[in-house]
Amino acid sequence: MKQTFTRLLGYAAVYRRTLIQAFLLLLLATVASVLGPYLIKVFIDSYLTPGNWVAADIGLLALAYVVSQLVGATAFFMQALRFNRVALNVIQTLREEVFERVLQLPMAYFDKIATGSLISRITNDTEAIKDLYVNVISVFAQNTVRVIGILIAMAFLDLRLMWICAMLIPVVLVLMFTYQKLSTPVFQRVRSLLSDINARLNESIEGMSVIQLMNQQQAFSKAFSKTSTDHYRAKIQNIIIDGFLLRALVDFIYMLLLAALLFSFGLIELNSHGAVEIGVIYAFINYLGNVTEPLIDMTSRLNMAQQALVSASRVFKLLDETPEPVPAEPLQPASTRIEFDIDRFSYNGKNDVLHDIHFAIEPGKFIGIVGHTGSGKSSLMALLMNFYRLEFGSIQIGGVDIRDISKTDRTRMIGMVQQDPFIFGGSIADNIRLELDISDAEVEQAAKQAQLHESILNMPQGYQTVLAERGKNLSAGQRQLLSLARTLARKPQILILDEATANIDSHTEALIQKSLMTLRGKITMIAIAHRLSTVIDADQLVVLHQGEIKQRGTHRELLREEGLYKHMYQLQQQQDPCEAMEHSDS
Amino acid sequence: MRIFLDLMWFFRQEYRRYGLAVLALIGVGFATMVPPWMIGKIVDALADGSLTREFLLQHVGIIAGVALASYLLRVLWRVALFGASYTLANELRQKIFRHLTRQSPAFYQQMTTGDLMARATNDIQAVEQTAGEAVLALFDGALTGILVLCVMTLFISLPLTLVALIPWPIVGYFMWRFGKELHHSFADAQARFSDLNDDVQESISALRLTRAYGREAVEQGQFNAIARQANLANQRVARTDSKYDPAIQLGVGFSFLLSVAGGAYLIYLQRLTLGQLTSFTLYLGYMIWPMFAIGWLLNLVERGQAAYARIKELLAIAPDIADTGSFSQQAFPSITFAIHRFSYGEGQPPVLEDINLSLEAGQMLGIVGHTGAGKSTLISLLLRQLEGDEAKILIDERDIRHFTLDNLRRHIATVPQTPFLFSATIAENIALARPEATQAEIEAVAKIAQVHDDIAGFKDGYLTEVGERGITLSGGQKQRIAIARALLQNAPILVLDDALSAVDVKTEAAILAHLQQARADKTTLVVCHRLSAVEQADKTIVLQHGHIIERGTHTSLLAESGWYRQMFDYQQLERAVEEGR
Repeated sequence: MKQTFTRLLGYAAVYRRTLIQAFLLLLLATVASVLGPYLIKVFIDSYLTPGNWVAADIGLLALAYVVSQLVGATAFFMQALRFNRVALNVIQTLREEVFERVLQLPMAYFDKIATGSLISRITNDTEAIKDLYVNVISVFAQNTVRVIGILIAMAFLDLRLMWICAMLIPVVLVLMFTYQKLSTPVFQRVRSLLSDINARLNESIEGMSVIQLMNQQQAFSKAFSKTSTDHYRAKIQNIIIDGFLLRALVDFIYMLLLAALLFSFGLIELNSHGAVEIGVIYAFINYLGNVTEPLIDMTSRLNMAQQALVSASRVFKLLDETPEPVPAEPLQPASTRIEFDIDRFSYNGKNDVLHDIHFAIEPGKFIGIVGHTGSGKSSLMALLMNFYRLEFGSIQIGGVDIRDISKTDRTRMIGMVQQDPFIFGGSIADNIRLELDISDAEVEQAAKQAQLHESILNMPQGYQTVLAERGKNLSAGQRQLLSLARTLARKPQILILDEATANIDSHTEALIQKSLMTLRGKITMIAIAHRLSTVIDADQLVVLHQGEIKQRGTHRELLREEGLYKHMYQLQQQQDPCEAMEHSDS
Repeated sequence: MRIFLDLMWFFRQEYRRYGLAVLALIGVGFATMVPPWMIGKIVDALADGSLTREFLLQHVGIIAGVALASYLLRVLWRVALFGASYTLANELRQKIFRHLTRQSPAFYQQMTTGDLMARATNDIQAVEQTAGEAVLALFDGALTGILVLCVMTLFISLPLTLVALIPWPIVGYFMWRFGKELHHSFADAQARFSDLNDDVQESISALRLTRAYGREAVEQGQFNAIARQANLANQRVARTDSKYDPAIQLGVGFSFLLSVAGGAYLIYLQRLTLGQLTSFTLYLGYMIWPMFAIGWLLNLVERGQAAYARIKELLAIAPDIADTGSFSQQAFPSITFAIHRFSYGEGQPPVLEDINLSLEAGQMLGIVGHTGAGKSTLISLLLRQLEGDEAKILIDERDIRHFTLDNLRRHIATVPQTPFLFSATIAENIALARPEATQAEIEAVAKIAQVHDDIAGFKDGYLTEVGERGITLSGGQKQRIAIARALLQNAPILVLDDALSAVDVKTEAAILAHLQQARADKTTLVVCHRLSAVEQADKTIVLQHGHIIERGTHTSLLAESGWYRQMFDYQQLERAVEEGR
């Protein structure tokens, strides 16, 4: 915890200048605000009590008071702005760092962790740290300076009486410590019970039909009531601790000190008549009141700090994850010849998803990879994209291991069209172009190649039609075509089509096929397809089954053998009776 | 303020705690008035030199005594008032939960989980604050304000009070303005925060694309810009927020200046003593909280009102399947479907039409057909999750509407399409319907459902936690646990609603074979896509667009060369491909 806290504070060190400014302003504000009661004291003791009505002096005093108040308020405002700016800049830096780290993490990391909790690290947890900075650290700094300032002012007026008031500080420190000890476990219990309540409720809503079918409404209601009532009891416990220890107790101590202060003043007066100045009493009472509020404030903010530190340690844990390694000395591939040399590959280290995959793809060839769901087709492409680390074996492009190719070279060489492509908010043209610097004509050219041009022209604003979130106003097929256009616009040397035409009707598919064929021989094409018609023309077909190569050859060659490919082909020739029935109806 | 009337039932119910809290608050209010008064008297005695030891001890003693009394009263009201408001939250939460258990699936289709959760969490919290903090602001804030004003005007000086309060309306005006500003900038900051959330969400969803295109720098740039916007929005919030303290400080400062100046003049006129002036300035300090309390009260009441209205609206929704039946005895598991027509709502096309079918006790019925044919609707009607006037279903010659819902559900064990496991151990999940079941019973059904070996393979066996905080099970494992759960109910009727889809053919056969042995005399309904699951059925119906288009046994249906035959051939080939042949 302590380490986390120091590391958090370290982020603020960059803003040393602003911090020093803020601190000086805080000092000024404190001096000015402490001066107010002192000036009133001077007025009471030097003018009011003796009946010394010198207009000029009193006027000057009043002016000094007004100026000190204005200066105090302004300086306080300005220091608050600076502290906040530092705090918020720190949070921005922290956010940028976490985000950057997330972008660099190996793909395998995202398979293990729930997206929701990852998002929460970058947003909610950093937001909690913001609260720590804005509401806890800066308030602690302000209040500490204010308390010290008041004590110094008191010491000026009367050192002995200052010590009486200063007793408040150790007492409150003990109080803070005790409160922290007593309340933290209860506070955490309240929080964890609340999240239990939410989890139970959420789960029961999702599983309500099961609960009802099993006639378990009573049992679930009872269990829920128990959690809710436990939460209620914990909250009562919490409020009792708060009630006895927080505001009420500090107020009590304050009143006792006030009584002690008055008693001391009285004693001094009784010992030597006329030794007490009324103005001093006035100022002391005023100061004592001003010192209590910050102390209460600080005590009640401790719980928030605890929570924020938990968030901070989660953020730091993510920051400390090892990123995907980058090649130290990137090598330039000599050609686009791809060579798969995979002994075995597994996501979890237990079950192999691929094994003994050894084949090469010559530049300019068209390769089809087919197989049933779960045969390892997509994993093979994920490896080619270097999404995952291959431990046993290698994949080489132009004689260079893909791990030694720089990111820029790799992304320029290989273009991939995904099965479920991601569509950004924005216009169609923007979605094709992304950040690439290409002309409208080139965008159109790519759309034509992907057979999307016609349907774009039919849309209300053509290429400027704004797409809804995740491209909801496009059909699944149009989204795939858009993704194809986007990839073609980048003119890759190796084009990977990962089930890229799965949602496209056979007429459009044939058109795409035709335009892709114009690229044939110029670039290497690798198509993963469930629908075999897509890859019939391939120079070579690789048939995968349960992670290994079952058959290889051209369509004609494979149809001559009695085997998996032939059966797959027959299956697709026969329509699924379910679908057949659907079509006959419509 | 209508919310306080709406919550009157609760205030009445908890009149003891609220009464105590209000009395304690009034007590604290009066007690607070004492110390400044005593201080004034001591100051006067000091000033005119009339102070004696007894006088001092007496007055200091009163302050100490009042301090103790108000300490105890403060603890008392806090525990009583907030305790009561927590009780309200607890009761409302339980009420909502029980209410939810009575709603049919149609209700859950209309309401989103997020909406229901929001009502049961945020809204309850807002109402809880109204019953606690708002009551505090109303009684304590208003009370303190009135008391302080009374003491200042009646016992010290009316003109001085008027002069001293001059800055307050001005401060009040600024508070109001800052409040509005803060509201705007806060809404903006929240909007920027949700932009940030959306951007991160999008970036993570688009991660593969980002990697494939090497767009990391672009994504980072976008994120940084949005994080910058969030930063600026928060700085605007901080800017307004930072104005509060100085404004109050200034107001209090000028108010003090005016009261000391005015007081000095009155002292000069000998219409006021120095002690009274001291008391007066202390009382002035007590006016700060009531100023805040009013704004706070209005805010809480507004939120509480809206929240309570949403909760009431939820609680007012009556369950659409009425539990009006009275038959609560054991019935014989023969089933008759006499469905003339069923549709979802008036004017909608029929989902089921002319389904007439009866099933002897102990028989097995297969229901097949493509997605959307009406299979699940048929099952929902049997379970009375849906009902329709022209859709009659009889069990043991008795309309299922005459069964109490509880009794009907005791007769039917269902394995739903998507198995749902709760965050609990596997054993608890299997024993959901019969928490008292022994380990031996649980294992026995797990064996029939072919999931025992899987469970035994986990480190903690049957005590393995599943769900959010536990391990992740495969779809097939979940289905088999759901089957075991239904078997443990040992109900006369078992419904497998496409419950074997994620189980491989061999396991499916083993489960079905075991079922036949374990469930002699009991009726079984199997809805499925794969025909191998209904080969053993006594009767199988093929549904298409809500009609029965074929019916018979496996052999007779194969002989018909219709849909069933086509489907069977297709699935044979599919199986070959799946097995890599």
